[in-house]
Amino acid sequence: MKLQIMKITLLSLLILGAATLGFSQAKKPTLMVVPSDVWCNTNGYMQTYDDQGTKVKIPDYKRAFQENNDLLAVISKINGMMAERGFPLKNMESVIKTLESERAENAILTSKTGSGVSESPMDKLKKVAKADIIIQLTWDVLKTGPKKSVRFTLQGLDAYTDKEIATAGGTGNPSFSAETAVLLEEAVADKIDNFNVGLQRHFDDLFANGREIIIRIKKFDSWKNDLETEYGGKELNVIIEDWVRANTVKNRFSNSDATESMMLFEQVRIPLYDASGNATDARGFTRGLQKLLTAPPYSIANKLTVKGLGQAVIVLGEK
Amino acid sequence: MKKHTAIWVMLMLLITGFSSAVNAQTNKKANEDTEAWKYELEVAGTGVQGTYLLKVWSYSKKPNVAIEQAKKNAVHGVIFKGFAGDQGILGKPPLTTNSNLEQEKDQWFKEFFADGGKYMKFVSLTSDGAVAAEDRMKVGKQYKIGVLVSVNVALLRKDLEDAGIIKSLSAGF
Repeated sequence: MKLQIMKITLLSLLILGAATLGFSQAKKPTLMVVPSDVWCNTNGYMQTYDDQGTKVKIPDYKRAFQENNDLLAVISKINGMMAERGFPLKNMESVIKTLESERAENAILTSKTGSGVSESPMDKLKKVAKADIIIQLTWDVLKTGPKKSVRFTLQGLDAYTDKEIATAGGTGNPSFSAETAVLLEEAVADKIDNFNVGLQRHFDDLFANGREIIIRIKKFDSWKNDLETEYGGKELNVIIEDWVRANTVKNRFSNSDATESMMLFEQVRIPLYDASGNATDARGFTRGLQKLLTAPPYSIANKLTVKGLGQAVIVLGEK
Repeated sequence: MKKHTAIWVMLMLLITGFSSAVNAQTNKKANEDTEAWKYELEVAGTGVQGTYLLKVWSYSKKPNVAIEQAKKNAVHGVIFKGFAGDQGILGKPPLTTNSNLEQEKDQWFKEFFADGGKYMKFVSLTSDGAVAAEDRMKVGKQYKIGVLVSVNVALLRKDLEDAGIIKSLSAGF
């Protein structure tokens, strides 16, 4: 009787597990269209500041969105066409506005006892418009005599690995009479399908070979040990590398940089789901390594920070 | 007199039957040509949002069969073959990335591409079947006819995704 109950329980658990795995969805990357630096520079949407004697130019996105009608129309068209494909994009203009209003709210938010909202310098640094995949947009109007044509480029950039995962571009047919806005609309309609093919290829690769992430290991200078310190006859950097090898999909990763105070793992392929069938990302994956290092025999206090779905940093020595 | 009438009726029936058989044979041949990829797609312009504007070159002994088959060839090509670009307009890859899809979903596509099948919903002749003189060529015993068609690719893609024939961009997320 007991054996039968055990069998039934085991079977139910198995079915439940399979169902959870079946319904589980991978974490969806966010996409956002961003005008490229070249476009901002060509159209005069740059800010210049003095960085210790060197003049540095950075794009002024806010002004670009406020002043350029064509930019608004092109982004809106791309967003619309992507939404039709079941992939609505983040709107950069709205993201910038939300960040500004949140900043203002945080500045005046106080508790009944007068405490303000806690915000570290790192929190402030991270408060920028971001997405997992940036769709970088560039166009310029070419003129030959009375004829006009539009050179248009879309680049899909993985925000963590910096790889260009999708691209579509080219120069449209020259026209004597068409408005620039019409030529731009035509360019988006012509390029977006090819761009999406690249995106689909990237997603197919992600499902077949796991999500590609970057892991950095650093140390606080207050920590007296380093990555060459031996634990049970093995250097810490080897222990970390062994853990990464054991937990990646098909053991795929490359340890591109390693010194006594830092390690950089690139092209780390992590599974989309953890052992319990839940969708995971860089943070979930690296938490395993964090746990290993915190537990005896290593007992190394460490701090884990992440950037979106695909980048994690572990700093050893302190919380 | 009655005998003459009977002979005439029989003769007429024979001719009608024979011509239907010939038509059926020509249609069958055209369908075989489609399955054997015997058609050419050429980009003819940038269509309105969600559509492709194409010139389809089809082969048949009868020009009207080639014109009608152009619709089927256009949808077939957009799903399985894709087409090259021309000056200023990008070529487009096929809707499916699975090179064995037509074999794997054989039955589904047979019904989809049957005469008067669902494929008709996604394609229209832009020139109402009128063919320019330079788009009508005699190649051996056959005609090579170029017809301008517009394929509603957004609707076609949605339909194939809903039927589980191709994967949507957001599948798995």
